[in-house]
Amino acid sequence: MSSTDTTMQSIPRTGRLVPIVVFIVAIALIALTPFLGNYYIRVVNGLLIYILLGIGLNIVIGYAGLLDLGFVAFYAVGAYTYGLLASAQLGIHLPFLLIVLIAALLGMLVGILLGVPVLKLRGDYLAIVTLGFGEIIRILVNNVDWLTGGPKGIARLDKASIFGIEIARPVDFYWLLLVTVFIVATIVWRMEKSILGKAWAAIREDQDAARGIGINTTNAKLAAFATSATIGSIAGVIFAASQRFVSPESFSLQESVLIVLMIVIGGIGNILGIIAGAAILILLPEVLREFAEWRILFLGLLMIALIILRPAGIVPRSFGPERLIRGLFGK
Amino acid sequence: MTLVFDNLRKQYGNNVAIDAVSTRFEPGLIHGIIGPNGAGKSTLINMTAGSYTVSAGSISLDDRKLSGLKKYQIANAGIARTYQNIRLFDQMTVLENLEVCFYPQEVGQTWKEVIWPPFAKKREARRQDACMELLSFFNLQGYAHAYAGSLPYGRQRMLEIARALVTNPKVLLLDEPAAGLNHHETAELTAKLSELKSQNRVMIIVEHDMDLVMALCDRIVVMHHGKLLFQGTPGEVQASSDVQLAYLGTANDIDDIKAAAQDRRAQLGIRTRQRS
Ligand SMILES: Nc1ncnc2c1ncn2[C@@H]1O[C@H](COP(=O)(O)OP(=O)(O)O)[C@@H](O)[C@H]1O
Ligand SMILES: [Mg+2]
Repeated sequence: MSSTDTTMQSIPRTGRLVPIVVFIVAIALIALTPFLGNYYIRVVNGLLIYILLGIGLNIVIGYAGLLDLGFVAFYAVGAYTYGLLASAQLGIHLPFLLIVLIAALLGMLVGILLGVPVLKLRGDYLAIVTLGFGEIIRILVNNVDWLTGGPKGIARLDKASIFGIEIARPVDFYWLLLVTVFIVATIVWRMEKSILGKAWAAIREDQDAARGIGINTTNAKLAAFATSATIGSIAGVIFAASQRFVSPESFSLQESVLIVLMIVIGGIGNILGIIAGAAILILLPEVLREFAEWRILFLGLLMIALIILRPAGIVPRSFGPERLIRGLFGK
Repeated sequence: MTLVFDNLRKQYGNNVAIDAVSTRFEPGLIHGIIGPNGAGKSTLINMTAGSYTVSAGSISLDDRKLSGLKKYQIANAGIARTYQNIRLFDQMTVLENLEVCFYPQEVGQTWKEVIWPPFAKKREARRQDACMELLSFFNLQGYAHAYAGSLPYGRQRMLEIARALVTNPKVLLLDEPAAGLNHHETAELTAKLSELKSQNRVMIIVEHDMDLVMALCDRIVVMHHGKLLFQGTPGEVQASSDVQLAYLGTANDIDDIKAAAQDRRAQLGIRTRQRS
């Protein structure tokens, strides 16, 4: 999407130092986090949820090139699925993993239902309509009090447990999220490399020419939308289970915008970029807590600086997971 | 395998771009479509490939009606094209530009590809082998891992033709493949195209370079103001006084063109013999 990439003659394959350093630092951070205080582990958990959301939304924005501003709706679908199926609200108490499965399917279904009418739209129109959809879901949740508890939300959600192991402390969620991020990132990366991922890229580059080589663009875009919605919904379940509380506040337009920013700042179309973008946008406000009122200004300056200095994001598309793995194993 | 236009018409608002065009394109031959700017050549290509809808009449491949199908369905029926203004997937590598053409055949097993890496590896290898072979044919193998958008213009033209050929189409539509190419590149293109002639393929070339058209084409359709003015062999086209008046200019020019075409044929003959 940036002009810098075009000028490159070929994707570089050499250079092992950066991959090895990145890998060692990542392992060290992962291993050290459990020894931090609960407050910090919660911050890291928040980061991991945003990474999950970023990986999901990036499928639609980064791979297929469709600007979706209503992603948070799928996050809400997952969170409320847990809220309703694991609380006294409806008197239903299903096991955590079953709810994950239900929420995944429900997210996919909602993704497809939304995708069918809106994916015919292009560019700005798609952005506006998805934005509207995100708001509709939030307003709906806010107003069907008998089901969702309205603005008060649903409290005292069940403690999650997996195969009898209780997932309750922040560190439990830390490991759950880490495993989830790893599995989701691997699957999504493999999808990117698959023939479907290549079709997404072709649609991003030139939708009409993509049709010209026989790609049913409606179906390919629906697949992107549905996969992304599934991931958003799963993130929502874990979020609700860790908070043990859901309310409409968590699903505002701002959240969608934040996730889009993570993707753009970190490196659009690149899972490693998403992680970097999430780290900056989620951790920096924590670091700069004392200057909370300057947050938005700071964000604006950061955006301007990045657009000038690194238009392809902090980690550009060309430095993807494949490059990291090649570097590590010296292939 | 014959591509048939039956009483074809295309209207943009009040502007009639194609008017009552009926003709047939046989396999095993290279068909040229010529005519002045705005004659409706690209419109014919665009309608055949499904980029534009047909206002009236029909396009069919043998007994199968193509007009009315969606663009991707027409592509999957075996119609491949290039564009007058190059349209590659710029931020994908040259190899990926070809690989993605296997999507219609392979998308059904995407899940297996995602979950089972050995299967993905095997499939990717097979896909890439086929693509590399085609890239070598067009002398593009050295660019395989470069971004398509970073290639020199002439190479991009070649790549676009290669992309159209990946899935071995029944009909190949080329809209001004020589536009913007230098002398050397045009000669290379002419040689490649003549090698691509096949009993199993209808080839249609829209082109302004008369040398290329006269040297390469077996049959020529002449368009003028959206109507089919004349069709016949290169010799018949050159001899037609209608065509001369409408398009080709004075009789002297025709002699020049004939001579040039003869020249080109001779060159091609030598090339082909050297190859075998
Ligand atoms: N997309 C379009 N919208 C409106 N008019 C068009 C469009 N494409 C082509 N035309 C018109 O149709 C006529 C034929 O154009 P075209 O097929 O591009 O001619 P050629 O390829 O022979 O130069 C011209 O008058 C042109 O202005
Ligand atoms: Mg034209």
